[in-house]
Amino acid sequence: MPMIGLLLPPLNDKNLPWLDVIHPIVVHFVIAMALITVVFDLIGVLTRRRNLFEVSFWNLLVATVAIFVAIIFGQIEAGLATPYGASRDILNYHSTLGWSLAAILSLLTGWRYVARQKDPTVLPPGFLIFDSILAVLVLCQVYLGDKLVWVYGLHTVPVVEAVRSGALS
Amino acid sequence: MNIVSTILSPVNEIADKLGANDLPYSIPIHPNLVHFTIGLFAIGIAFDFAGAFYPLEKRIFRFLALPATRSGFHDVGWYNVLACSVITFFTVAAGFYEMLLAVPLPGIRSIIGQNAIDTMLWHAIGGIALLLIIVVMTIWRGFQRFLWRKDYGRQVSWLYLGCGAVVLLAMGVHGSLGAWLASEFGVHITADQLLASGTDLRQVLP
Repeated sequence: MPMIGLLLPPLNDKNLPWLDVIHPIVVHFVIAMALITVVFDLIGVLTRRRNLFEVSFWNLLVATVAIFVAIIFGQIEAGLATPYGASRDILNYHSTLGWSLAAILSLLTGWRYVARQKDPTVLPPGFLIFDSILAVLVLCQVYLGDKLVWVYGLHTVPVVEAVRSGALS
Repeated sequence: MNIVSTILSPVNEIADKLGANDLPYSIPIHPNLVHFTIGLFAIGIAFDFAGAFYPLEKRIFRFLALPATRSGFHDVGWYNVLACSVITFFTVAAGFYEMLLAVPLPGIRSIIGQNAIDTMLWHAIGGIALLLIIVVMTIWRGFQRFLWRKDYGRQVSWLYLGCGAVVLLAMGVHGSLGAWLASEFGVHITADQLLASGTDLRQVLP
């Protein structure tokens, strides 16, 4: 608290130094772009529309850049969250999978970049398999994050209030 | 006396079929589809901007050793907005279903001073309007791509890009209303609803 208290504005009734949670906004660009990459890759393979591989490449790149921004805000807001009960474990899984997804997205983007230098109209063999693994992991990550917000209500006014009053821990 | 104040919410008739979050399932669907509507539209417009300013960026991409074509950027602009149009019908549909079941916490006002029902009504009307705007802009985008500007390097007009930027701002305000429905009014959040009913979360939410 002392360090972050020096750097950031005082905390509001959602235990945040800013108006609303930022992490769930940034993750729009990870979730949508990563999953649409998989969809466009699949349609590209099925319909042989080769320009879709270019569309999925750029979307994958955006997802990869965005996940690091999402992690920065995610770590700050996780640190300021007031987890209780099982949401502590869920938050730990969510953080671990989040960092892992950053590594996986970076590796996939790097692989795509190298393959694209050779021929942008061809999807590397086996890429669709890794695409589907990526999609499954992203969906798991979304489910964990959803539980933190929609079941446990972290950073919502009533939960923060309950924790601050000592009614919840 | 107004009749509205004398009748109970119709949600009560199916209350025994709903969970503590007032939904028949634990995680709301609408906020998850919103990821796609916002992400696809924003990045679609962003890549059309990248295509429009391509002559200025060429050197940067060469410096980064990242091959980029103008038509590639406009492909992203087109396909992302097209995908956004398709998915947003489901975003709005899920939103209306979940709003019909919404039980906002009483006596609360959002940061801009609105109460729950005003926030919900504005978010509903805004959602329909944005769906309409997204579909119209996608059709406009298609005409530019396949007819009006198919022989041009810059596939979109400046007006389209300007409209896209304005719509993104509107989406930001609209999304904030939706976010407050959750974070301030506790709509469909299990923990908030349980706390409001006086339940001890340590017992029900292990």
